Amino acid sequence: MQGNSQQQAYDRGTNIFSPDGRLYQVEYAREAIKRGSPSVGIRFESDDEAGVVFVASGRLRSSLQVPDSIEKIHKVDDHVGVASAGHVADARQLVDVARRQAQVERLRFGEDAGIEALTKEITGYIQEYTQAGGARPFGAALLVGGLDADGTPHLFETDPSGTPYEWEAIAIGGNSEKIQGYLEAEYESDTDADGALELAFHALEDASEGGLESEGMSASVISGDGFRSLSNDELHELIDGHDLAADEDDEE
Amino acid sequence: MEGFTSGKGTAESAPEEFKTGTTTVGIVADEGVVLATDRRASLGGRFVSNKDADKIIEVHPSAAITISGSVGAGQTFADQLQAQTSLYETRRGKEMSMQALSTTAANAIRGMRVVPLLGGVDETGGHLYSLDPAGGLMEDTYGSTGSGMQMAYGVLEGEYEDGMSVSEAETAARAAVEAASARDTASGNGAMVARITDDGIEREELSAEEL
Repeated sequence: MQGNSQQQAYDRGTNIFSPDGRLYQVEYAREAIKRGSPSVGIRFESDDEAGVVFVASGRLRSSLQVPDSIEKIHKVDDHVGVASAGHVADARQLVDVARRQAQVERLRFGEDAGIEALTKEITGYIQEYTQAGGARPFGAALLVGGLDADGTPHLFETDPSGTPYEWEAIAIGGNSEKIQGYLEAEYESDTDADGALELAFHALEDASEGGLESEGMSASVISGDGFRSLSNDELHELIDGHDLAADEDDEE
Repeated sequence: MEGFTSGKGTAESAPEEFKTGTTTVGIVADEGVVLATDRRASLGGRFVSNKDADKIIEVHPSAAITISGSVGAGQTFADQLQAQTSLYETRRGKEMSMQALSTTAANAIRGMRVVPLLGGVDETGGHLYSLDPAGGLMEDTYGSTGSGMQMAYGVLEGEYEDGMSVSEAETAARAAVEAASARDTASGNGAMVARITDDGIEREELSAEEL
């Protein structure tokens, strides 16, 4: 028993390295993210419009669940938002860190928080939970997207190790490899918000089994006009308009 | 000395600190900002404690402050701003904008007995701000602080024009310091001038005769 528990100690309790230099708890956290439903972020920059779109899908547990209570896309500030995958409760905690930091930046510098600076504040916070004893890493990945003060759009990903990555288009969460493959084949930066939304929905549909259920989905656009979430009618229209709906959804 | 007899640590009883007395001037020009100060430091405005005081301190590759009030507070304030601009640049890979720098300065100054002007240049052009010990921040196109400010403003009101060149602004700023030095007992001993443009900060010391 003693020998056995010593072997297992590397993936229990605190974050410590395994003999071959891995952090099992961080790796398990990445696995937790893959178990959830996916979120997609796409950066766009055409002559007259620049920004980031987020599209997230979520699973309704029952027809009685209120769809709007599934929160996967969060406004952080007027010029920046976050889409999450993985444990929603963990993600919400990070969203609050981002919201507070966005206000701290404004108090300190009198300017909107830069997207990269904000992302690095979040990843710094995430990283602390990969070293602190007795703590568990965050079981959530975030996409942080928005516009810098000069109007340049940026889209970053955070992972449970606390590393930031910048992307033109990315999928996180369940089935993300397949969605990413679609994005890699189809992405073009020179488009507007509608074009980016269309690509995101097509990518999600391509990886789905039998089409999209608009009830579980949400989408937001961050552009020069600020942060805007699409209404349920707009979501329906987009999904039906591009013939992406699941079959049983057609007659609703 | 009062400071020893009263036995109380009140502001009145504390030993007198070095003050800049001072005239400091700032003007926004077409391609930059000009700052100018006198070079006298005094005790109570009646004794010249230093004839070569440096009252323009760089806090950013293209921004500087002038200090009036307590010399110690002004130097500490400048040191803190230098640390913050340097840290910002290292962390983010870009220099602070004047909006960010002026907000940082207004946050840092609270409670310090110094009344600075902050002048600098960023991609939006030249900016000049006046600050106060309560954290007040006001942007202007020209301004003056210190015991000689009335004389300096008298000159600036006549000389300042929108869109004046850096060299025209420098002439006006020098004239303002000269007028204050002639009538304010706490100002004098020549001038320090700083021209701040896209290329950085260029400083020049002037003796009383050169002024």
